[in-house]
Amino acid sequence: MAKIIVVTSGKGGVGKTTSTAAIGAGLAMRGHKTVVIDFDVGLRNLDMIMGCERRVVFDFINVIQGDAKLKQALIKDRRLENLAILPTSQTRDKDALTREGVGKVLDELREDFDYIICDSPAGIERGAYLAMYYADEAVVVTNPEVSSVRDSDRVLGLLSSKTHLAEKGEGGVKSHLLLTRYDPKRVASGEMMKVEDILEILSIPLLGIIPESTAVLKASNVGTPVTFDTKSNAGKAYEDAVSRLDGEQIEMRIKPERPGLFQRLLRRTA
Amino acid sequence: MSAESLTLNDGSAAARAEEMPLQVRSRSFTAVVLKVTGAADAGFFASLDSLMRQAPHFFVNAPLVLDLEQATDLQVKGDFVKLVRELRARRLSPIAIQNASADQGIAAFGAGLITLQGGRDVPTERRGRAAEAAPAASEPEPESEPAAASLLITEPVRSGQRIFADRGDLIVNASVSSGAELVAHGSIHIYGPMRGRALAGVNGDKSARIFCQSLEAELIAIAGLYLTSDDLGPTVRKKRVQAFLRDQTLCVEPLK
Repeated sequence: MAKIIVVTSGKGGVGKTTSTAAIGAGLAMRGHKTVVIDFDVGLRNLDMIMGCERRVVFDFINVIQGDAKLKQALIKDRRLENLAILPTSQTRDKDALTREGVGKVLDELREDFDYIICDSPAGIERGAYLAMYYADEAVVVTNPEVSSVRDSDRVLGLLSSKTHLAEKGEGGVKSHLLLTRYDPKRVASGEMMKVEDILEILSIPLLGIIPESTAVLKASNVGTPVTFDTKSNAGKAYEDAVSRLDGEQIEMRIKPERPGLFQRLLRRTA
Repeated sequence: MSAESLTLNDGSAAARAEEMPLQVRSRSFTAVVLKVTGAADAGFFASLDSLMRQAPHFFVNAPLVLDLEQATDLQVKGDFVKLVRELRARRLSPIAIQNASADQGIAAFGAGLITLQGGRDVPTERRGRAAEAAPAASEPEPESEPAAASLLITEPVRSGQRIFADRGDLIVNASVSSGAELVAHGSIHIYGPMRGRALAGVNGDKSARIFCQSLEAELIAIAGLYLTSDDLGPTVRKKRVQAFLRDQTLCVEPLK
């Protein structure tokens, strides 16, 4: 049975799309048939992060409106045969999404894939609502700062009330916390919130802590999910998070100590 | 013609007693609603008189609201003036109309009646007894069950969520996030960290209290009197506390 996972946050710029790409690639690397869907209609980015922007012909909206078949819109990843991308439209807006249309596409995808990862737009309006509506599980991406934590809390409230599972009375969507852009030095100096404080406020299980890393921006710019960068801290952290999402028990590896000069040089050239 | 009741709300601003020469409070009152069918003619007054003979105490001192949904004949100011005069002669106190058209609203305003929206029915029998005991009672009235039921919440109350206990107490056995709101006619009990807002006794119940396991609230209010997080000092912050009203002042004290 395919599992639908929404990657959401409420707040913008916290790393939803990066995390979607990394989680999608990570699950595919573990042998699962995985598709990532971009719900950010009008602000299409997932295709770029996945490095397939030049291969987009038909998109999610074309499929919803019946102008194209799902098979025509799905783009197969060139690096991983288990991975596919369903890009969205850059010219339309969120009103083009309908609950029935999204449901139909997801049902069709359920037949072919093990994991369906929905990349939610920021905010709590239509796009974000429909991205989370059919989800079985949610990855709530949060930065260690107060506004991001409050927005995540708001989204958790919606996940437990405004989704298909909640409406069926099955207790809402199972949610995991993914802490991104975590900088141990700034946490130590009190500039960033501590993990325990965030967990106390949100009270959901922690899926992973992704350290602030130059590897993330670099990976985005060249269109490679950061999970492929197995040497970087961020890549490893995503790998661990994906393993936990897949049901493995792995210990957290937060490294509060400063990386050595040699390591830093290595990362810059890696 | 039928009689029923509704709840009036006279504002939402709140003021703290020691700082202002006047106090603004939100308070609910119970009123009797009179449904006028057809024209307010001799037949209408005959039925009204007969009803008043059956239940002489029912209408005494109670504010009266006229429901004009089925009274399309009442259109001009003169009719309303006459109607108000006749009702007052029977020691009734008409104050407002509802379910009226725009024209009816203007005509009735000329006769000193305001237009009300909303309202909620409560059982007339209980209303009758309340009118006998204490006119225009302001206690929250349970709608049907004999005892006020409490509302129990066991999941965290997230930012942006609003929980309303429209009868009795509200009990939250989980955390309440910043930006969340708890509202109850009775008392509020929170057994997790309390970081949101809590408004107890919103119907004017001054005996309502707020109990917290760890008070980190943005705002707490009882019967319209409130304190914000700035007013909560270190003696109560993050402590087990109760908040209650004493002599028009909202007090917060640690629980022993």
